[in-house]
Amino acid sequence: MLTRLLSVVAALVLSASAASAEPKTVTLWHVFNLDTDMIHGGIKAFNASQSEYRVEPRILPGPQIAAELIKSIAAGSVPDLVTLDNPVVASFSAEGTLTDLTDRVGKSEAVKAGVYLPGPWASILWQGHMYGVPRDANTIALYYNADMFRAKGLDPDKPPRTWAELRAAAEKLRDPAKGVYGFGFCATQSDEGVFQWLPFLYQNGGAIDKLDQPEAAEALQFWVDLVKNDLVTRDVLNMRQYEVANTFMAGGTAMVLGGPWELPRMQTEAKFDWRLALMPIKDDAKNIRASSLGGYDYVIPKGAKEIEGAFRFIEFMSRADILKEGWKTGRLPPRTDIEVPDPQWRQAYEMYHEQVKTARARGPHPQWPDISRAMQTAIQEALVGAKPAGPALKDAADKIKPILVKTPL
Amino acid sequence: MGRSRSPLLRVFLSVPVGYLLAFVGFPVVYNLVASVQKVTVGNIADLVRPFVGLDNYVQVLADPAFRKVLVNSLVFVSVNVVAQVGIGLAVALFFAQRFAGAHWMRGALLAGWMLPALVVGALWKWIFATQYGLANYALQSLSLAIAPVHWLSDPAVSLISVIVANVWFGMPFSMILIAAGLTGIPQELYEAAALDGAGAVSRFRFITLPALGPTLLAVACLVTIYTMRAFDLIFAMTEGGPLDSSNVLPVMSYQFSFQRFQFGPGAAVGTFAFVIVFAVALLYVRTLGREAST
Repeated sequence: MLTRLLSVVAALVLSASAASAEPKTVTLWHVFNLDTDMIHGGIKAFNASQSEYRVEPRILPGPQIAAELIKSIAAGSVPDLVTLDNPVVASFSAEGTLTDLTDRVGKSEAVKAGVYLPGPWASILWQGHMYGVPRDANTIALYYNADMFRAKGLDPDKPPRTWAELRAAAEKLRDPAKGVYGFGFCATQSDEGVFQWLPFLYQNGGAIDKLDQPEAAEALQFWVDLVKNDLVTRDVLNMRQYEVANTFMAGGTAMVLGGPWELPRMQTEAKFDWRLALMPIKDDAKNIRASSLGGYDYVIPKGAKEIEGAFRFIEFMSRADILKEGWKTGRLPPRTDIEVPDPQWRQAYEMYHEQVKTARARGPHPQWPDISRAMQTAIQEALVGAKPAGPALKDAADKIKPILVKTPL
Repeated sequence: MGRSRSPLLRVFLSVPVGYLLAFVGFPVVYNLVASVQKVTVGNIADLVRPFVGLDNYVQVLADPAFRKVLVNSLVFVSVNVVAQVGIGLAVALFFAQRFAGAHWMRGALLAGWMLPALVVGALWKWIFATQYGLANYALQSLSLAIAPVHWLSDPAVSLISVIVANVWFGMPFSMILIAAGLTGIPQELYEAAALDGAGAVSRFRFITLPALGPTLLAVACLVTIYTMRAFDLIFAMTEGGPLDSSNVLPVMSYQFSFQRFQFGPGAAVGTFAFVIVFAVALLYVRTLGREAST
């Protein structure tokens, strides 16, 4: 009887100690729903490689993740790790809602400040402190339909290099009888439209804090002329980037601006010889290469329960072998020291890898959404013909000035 | 019937009243309070935040987009109410005739209403696409248009497009309620009127419409309230663009709060929407009360 009692007690004690060794849950919210994304393999490998932490993911739609994070902050119950689009990170870090990772990064072997591309690294900084770690980087470049080039007598190995060449090619490729537009870009009333226009602003030597200067007006006028001359459909005012890419894949547009995230679909949907080219520069006089920087950052909200576990996962996902997997869904490593050997879509990889070196971050500025909105309005007003490019941008500059006076870019 | 309230009645009443206070009253009060505070991502978890008086309202009223949005909301709602109730009435009358398959077809019409608003928005975005959309294809095949119409990318037309989509979406709801109201009208009235020599139009004017009065008012109020809330469909079709030409109060409130992280102005926009809906609901309850007492 006593031995039976002792063995029961022993079993209970053993199970209790086994329970205390159960892995701690690290809640991760991310937006990557393609099952080939590096994060899925990364989560499995991380969970298998150690027994102290277990990452439990929750997938949210891209446009909703910031709103969900806000709701969780309001409710006082935040996830341990979130992937945020890089331009909105400053809105959260400036308000003190993200955990300061400066010390952890200082001590980390896997995450080192010096190896990151300047754009992604800038997005996680606020007043000299680090509030996140870049996950990936992307940018936009020029997709073009080589078959259509050949059909219209253009050389597919010599894609447009300058704005003038782009315009000329669009004129040749425009085919109203077949319903084909020469060129396409996203000009919606959202940050996506601004994302696609900023390279033109930068390439003309313009700047966000100087929108009332002629460089900005010329950059917008280039877009206005393309739409006015029916080389670009007016529907771009209401087409998100992936919808513009859809028209390219369907053969409705000969050239579009797009990012590497389109590549997995491009592979299956585009049944023609599609290629990438670098964003055309303004002209040889203003030889400025520039594009917009996209990509997601890992952030740990303030008040997260498992900060250590979350950071360990970030370090795990920052391993070179995992970051190279990112290219399978068109996500470039945000670092200068990692190349993808033998990449899928080799031509696209070479173009994007080159382009991302000159990709500029949006902000970081805690009021980036307001700055972006001022530009969105100016772009749409000019494209619709409500205001000429110059006055539209002057109005945007007037809206942006007080924001930048309060907090400079 | 005794007017005394037994204690047991109070206990039973406290449950729905408590529910209303918690899930309806509290959010309204919270929103009102937030609209007079400076609310940011940093202090959203707190209840006590810096008081800024009417600054948020001033900011919203001074925003040139707000005037557009307010007018859009009023136009969107009024056209929707008239169209949904009018077309719903016509369709309900049509299906009240006895013909083969009437019941089945009426049920099939409801299928559109049961789709999620986001799906309906995506569907109509495809229909209204300028280059490859069904609407322009139909117009050009029937030679009703020379050039393709920019349904969603022309600021002058985008509001009409979202109205059309929303009417298609909501009309079955009105139709079903009106059809239910129609069954309540005694057939003898129509037979007597026909015997007296009244034609179809007279029968409609003097029997159907007066009998349907309360039903039509109720449906109109419900449609007003539903369309004041319309968010998913417009967000999916145009996100309120281009240039806020199809933007309405709920979408603008969302944009202020969750895209620009300015919760104070977002709450202020929400208050405007609340006041309009409250006024309509008050009118409805008052009219119901008057109807009941006659």
